[in-house]
Amino acid sequence: MDKCEVKLKVNGEEQEVVVPARRLLSELLRDDLNLTGTKRGCETGICGACTVLLDGEAVKSCLLVALQAEGREVTTIEGLRGEDGTLHPLQQAFVEHGGLQCGYCTPGMIMSAKAFLERNAQPTDGEIRQALSGNLCRCTGYMHIVESIAAAAKAMSGEAKAK
Amino acid sequence: MRDFTVLKPSSAREASRLLAEHGDGARLMAGGTALILALRQRLVTPGHLVYLGGVPAMNAVTYDAKTGLRIGALARHIDVATNAAVKTHYPMLASMAAQVANPQVRNQGTLGGNLCYADPASDPPTCLMALGARVLATSNAGEREIALDAFFTDYYQTALRPEEVLTEIRIPPLGDATGAYARFRRTEAEHRPMLTLGIVARRDGNMCRSARIVIGASTATPVRASGVEQLLEGKPVTRALLDQAAALVRSQTEVLSDFRGSADYRREIAGVVLRRTAASLFGVELN
Repeated sequence: MDKCEVKLKVNGEEQEVVVPARRLLSELLRDDLNLTGTKRGCETGICGACTVLLDGEAVKSCLLVALQAEGREVTTIEGLRGEDGTLHPLQQAFVEHGGLQCGYCTPGMIMSAKAFLERNAQPTDGEIRQALSGNLCRCTGYMHIVESIAAAAKAMSGEAKAK
Repeated sequence: MRDFTVLKPSSAREASRLLAEHGDGARLMAGGTALILALRQRLVTPGHLVYLGGVPAMNAVTYDAKTGLRIGALARHIDVATNAAVKTHYPMLASMAAQVANPQVRNQGTLGGNLCYADPASDPPTCLMALGARVLATSNAGEREIALDAFFTDYYQTALRPEEVLTEIRIPPLGDATGAYARFRRTEAEHRPMLTLGIVARRDGNMCRSARIVIGASTATPVRASGVEQLLEGKPVTRALLDQAAALVRSQTEVLSDFRGSADYRREIAGVVLRRTAASLFGVELN
């Protein structure tokens, strides 16, 4: 089996792992680093449950082999919580606005939304829907997900103003 | 996914040498969004994967008013969609790139990789062919330009030789031409278009001086609608002329038939999309 060494930063922490060349990034996160917040859904690039940030941009971690993350920075859902354990405003908004039912798509939804809100702090509902076009939810019908993200956008821009 | 050995060339020429060395047993990988799916389904089972991620400066996008646009093959869809020169000088290309697949794939998939994969149900081939794009193929022996008209040879097949690496996409200046790109999906939730259409035309008001019209996604490769181009050229574009053009495209286009759309349906849609897109480009009221 052909192994390769991958050095990357995950949620701010340097990691060095030796994995088979064919290891997917989603597998590296879950199986080698035990970060199981990133979900494996369809594994065919459709559902978006495995969405993580690669250098701040949303990607589907089942569509990358781990070595593509060499020297780069990955952020997963585990990286969003504050040091004191407080939830990220997006996580908080999903809780308050019922943005989930079974919860399996939620980490992917939140990671897509995080990358999106960093580029568009005051989105319209239409823009939010477009930003989520690579993430599927089979429970909610999306209404409360969109509401949650709109609420988080408001909370986050309020926070930015307060600073 | 079968095991493979990863090779990381630091230049396109080195990549070409590796391809020549390993022959059929090697595959090139850029962003990987399409190839990884094919690997997982064991549609391809290479012993060696030649990964281009370490090749520097192959993702630049530059524009010159005389020579046009040059896009490094490793530029991602998002890079094309957000580039200021592309938005200013080739708005149809920017809007196409902003619609490819979904946001996560646009952040990772490359334009060069997309063209080499030659998946018919994809956006860039049709749009770029309408724009008269050419690609630069680099090998250890040198470089050659290939017009996109001659690049797509069949379903998932291109004119690239086994040891050639696509390194750049070149698009001539539009000059006084304007263009439009349209994609048709049966529902908004689909990520892959069922039919694509690109038009680049020179016109005086509604008079069509010349037009390049390309249809894709419903055909094995993007194809020029040359009958329609000839019909429009030198005529004022009116509703009646567009009805004729739609009828012509329905009868002359050889379309695919599969579970995503029957041949009859695809032909019908080709007429509809052509009529609407040309009407909007030439300022013709349809209703």
